[in-house]
Amino acid sequence: MKARVAVLVFPGTNSEVETRDLLVDCGADARIVHWSEAASLAYYDAFVLPGGFAYEDRIRAGAIAAHDAMLDAVIEGSEAGKLVMGICNGAQILLEAGLAPGTGAIRRPTAAFTHNIQGHFICQRVLLRRDAAAERCAIAAALPQDALIPAWAAHGQGRLAASSEHLEEIERGGYVVFRYADVRGATGAHLAPQGSALGAAALTNRRGNVLALMPHPERDAWNFNHLDRREGEDVLAPSGGSALFESFVTALERM
Amino acid sequence: MRDLAVAELDDEGLRARADALGLALRVDELRGIAQRLGRAPSLVELYAFDAQWSEHCSYKSSRALLARLPTSGSDVVLGPSEDAGILHLGEHEGERYGIVIAHESHNHPSQVVPFEGAATGIGGIVRDVLCMGAEVVAVADPLRFGNIDFDRRHQRAVATGVVAGISAYGNAIGVPNLAGDCYFHSDFDDNVLVNVVALGLVKESEIVHSRVPAHGADFVLLLVGKATDASGFGGASFSSVALDAQEAQSNKGAVQVPDPFLKNVLMRASYRVFTLLRERNIEVGFKDLGAGGIMGCSAELCSAGGFGAEVDLDAVNVAVDHLLPEVIAVGETQERLLWALPEELVDEVERIYNEEFSLPQVAQNARAVRIGRATAERRFQLRHRGEIVMDVPIDFLTGTVRDTLAAEAPKPPRTQRERDRACDRSIGDLLHATLAHRDVCSRAPIYRHYDAVVRGRTVIPRGEADAGVLAPIRGSRLAFALSVAGNPRIGRIDPQRAAEHAVYESVRKVVAVGAEPIGLTDCLNYGSPRDARQYGELVAGIDGLARAARGFDLAYVSGNVSLYNAASDGHAIPASPIVACVGRLTDVSQCVTLALKETGSRLYLVGETQRALGGSVLASLLALPDEAVPELDIERAVAEHHFVLSAARAGLLRSAHVLSDGGLLVTLAEMSFGCYAARREPIGIALDGLAGWSSTGSYESLFGEWGGLVVEVAQRDVERFEELASSLESVREIAATIAEPLLAFEDEAWDISELHRIWSQPLEELYP
Repeated sequence: MKARVAVLVFPGTNSEVETRDLLVDCGADARIVHWSEAASLAYYDAFVLPGGFAYEDRIRAGAIAAHDAMLDAVIEGSEAGKLVMGICNGAQILLEAGLAPGTGAIRRPTAAFTHNIQGHFICQRVLLRRDAAAERCAIAAALPQDALIPAWAAHGQGRLAASSEHLEEIERGGYVVFRYADVRGATGAHLAPQGSALGAAALTNRRGNVLALMPHPERDAWNFNHLDRREGEDVLAPSGGSALFESFVTALERM
Repeated sequence: MRDLAVAELDDEGLRARADALGLALRVDELRGIAQRLGRAPSLVELYAFDAQWSEHCSYKSSRALLARLPTSGSDVVLGPSEDAGILHLGEHEGERYGIVIAHESHNHPSQVVPFEGAATGIGGIVRDVLCMGAEVVAVADPLRFGNIDFDRRHQRAVATGVVAGISAYGNAIGVPNLAGDCYFHSDFDDNVLVNVVALGLVKESEIVHSRVPAHGADFVLLLVGKATDASGFGGASFSSVALDAQEAQSNKGAVQVPDPFLKNVLMRASYRVFTLLRERNIEVGFKDLGAGGIMGCSAELCSAGGFGAEVDLDAVNVAVDHLLPEVIAVGETQERLLWALPEELVDEVERIYNEEFSLPQVAQNARAVRIGRATAERRFQLRHRGEIVMDVPIDFLTGTVRDTLAAEAPKPPRTQRERDRACDRSIGDLLHATLAHRDVCSRAPIYRHYDAVVRGRTVIPRGEADAGVLAPIRGSRLAFALSVAGNPRIGRIDPQRAAEHAVYESVRKVVAVGAEPIGLTDCLNYGSPRDARQYGELVAGIDGLARAARGFDLAYVSGNVSLYNAASDGHAIPASPIVACVGRLTDVSQCVTLALKETGSRLYLVGETQRALGGSVLASLLALPDEAVPELDIERAVAEHHFVLSAARAGLLRSAHVLSDGGLLVTLAEMSFGCYAARREPIGIALDGLAGWSSTGSYESLFGEWGGLVVEVAQRDVERFEELASSLESVREIAATIAEPLLAFEDEAWDISELHRIWSQPLEELYP
């Protein structure tokens, strides 16, 4: 039987449909689970937290959702080794919940994705280079060594921020799974469009079963999203950003 | 009951009382109401008529003129009769799909409180599309701002506040911003234009109408959304009078407060109700609460179905106690919609909003609540605290009101250029100045604030082609294109041609991505209809819109009229008809972007040069105010568009870009700049000498804005392309693409990266 993936919807989530669709196209049995159905979450094998503005980004992006009843199930699942992927607002929630980088206690975050240096929302194409930590992040492990994943940065609070001690721990401990890159694959803090520390776009946890990813690969994930770079004849087929979702599904199948 | 003793007051006394009550109704209208009711009208009734008979709701100055516009055609599923129009997109798996489109202005609110005014503009237009039973799939934002020079603090604050408001609202509800444009002109200093467009997707068999259905006597009126508060009281009449700077402050209470967070949930809950309606196959009514609030919406929803209505204002969920009945009745609190449902569905729909989507937990006292019913008797009744506070014939309230107005025809535009232009500036110097002009330079600093790709179905985002393209149906290759246009530089000179060019440019932009134009919307932004000259501009504009649309065989399915766009000194904005065009792609893989694709290609101009610089960026740079505006030969344009679409479908176009603001050199430069967005090294262009392709002088050829477009054809396709073009005289090879990153013309060559830097920077300063 296929592994069951829950795509979580909080009040304010807005990217649930395309996230579910891409998971399905990559071979997962994915369903949208609404906040009024939190009790059903225990039934799922993996969790994906899609983008949006859960609880209106009140206090900080992700801060309220991290205390939602749905997160109880996600935290429990994560501790049991289930795969958990958060994209954009989902990534912010995972940091606020302390699941990534997970160097502190649950719901006591040690790092946050916070306000961009521009002080406003940005929407632009980005490239993500798989970093060494991907070796031990189950969700990204099936990607080729030097994979460059196309995605969209679309956020007002996407800048990784933490104390210098915590940032050093994140870097030294190998928690950075993706960094912003240029077309040749070079990385560096200056390539992060919102000023993210370490040029980081995604973090995992110590166990490697959690991925908190700020940009959206699911918005550059079918041939029709990038006609100039299409792969194969079928314009409706997944390609580009779908590579990460395929890796996610591969990891699920191995579990 | 509080009322106004109309019959006992003389005209002067009546005007004074009406002004004190904040009523914009005229004395003759007030007397007509009292006469028809046969008694002194209650205050609630007066505020109701004030909203319902305002320009905003009644179109009293423009209704007769709008009848001149074509509104039917083979692709029209629903013309401009309800909250939004519908165009036929195509079929997928045996289902017919329609594109729902609505287009409005939120000019006055955005001038007074830019962030909230623009945000509620998006909020309102989205509801107009939602209530047709559609999933909202895209928005667009044509903007006109004032002079934003460094010392113009107020104009700069408005220009940044509007963009922030559109960004905050559209991003949060999760609808991609697919198209838009922006012009800066000091004639908008005191009156910006914020137009908004929203698109939805609906199966044509599942359209929900903005009326109680024929069998709907006793249908329950179910109000859903935000708790009614005191915001937005007087909104409809506020947007129907000229702005006075002194009064702008006191007008702030008339502006609504946006809540995109609640709207996000409200939209998703409504989609769930659409599913329920599909399962039950029951016809119902659904309408957005806009101008005139609960009163306007319930009256229009019921009267459109041939019914009256009874509404109990005490049943309305309110945010604060002790609201006056007129505030509950006509206030324009945002994020509300009204269902007309048969009794057997009401409990289930209430459960969806209140429990499954827990509206009361999402926003204070937000919910679905029964407030009244449709009645066979064609009266409109409101109750408050056991008393009937309004009781009028419903057709008198919602029926047609018309003003007869005097129009003065605009002075005939010049058709010939007056004199030879002496110009000592080089082509290179003018190219730099044009690329840096605020009407030409990169819009990325603006649209970067907007989510272009949420929902994952965006094919071409803003900046990568002349129209945005989106493939809205999962599993289908069907896609639509969306463009907007309306050039205020032409509007200032020639109102009729401004309208014709708005249509032509919006259509041309859709064609440039390889999409077949299928329909239009219009938003008519003009000055006061009580000024014969300004009203004359509206008349000329509508004639221009009608002529151009008929020429392209297109219909208007939705639109809006925004009048009284003038500063307190009576100085009106330039005539600003703004047009949106929807195009259809039966196979999304055939769409064309603007970035040059390869070296060794040939570039063709599709269109004729003209000796007419009127309305061009060059004319404003060189201060040439009295030039003729280019003529529009629609028949030729239709043939050119037909040809471009054939070439696109045959896969012969590598890239395409319209000639528009700034002229030909700008078009070519932008095609080269497109490589940067595609993360490729820029491809250069060698432009042939004029002798080979143009009969006009170099300024007109290189900077004239006469329309047409430029297409890139790969060397291997040249033969097929030229064969296809053989019946057209207006297709000429003008340039070739080259490996060197240069734009070369005669013995000059400009570095693409330098041109790109000049073009990219100007708006960065205001939108860092």
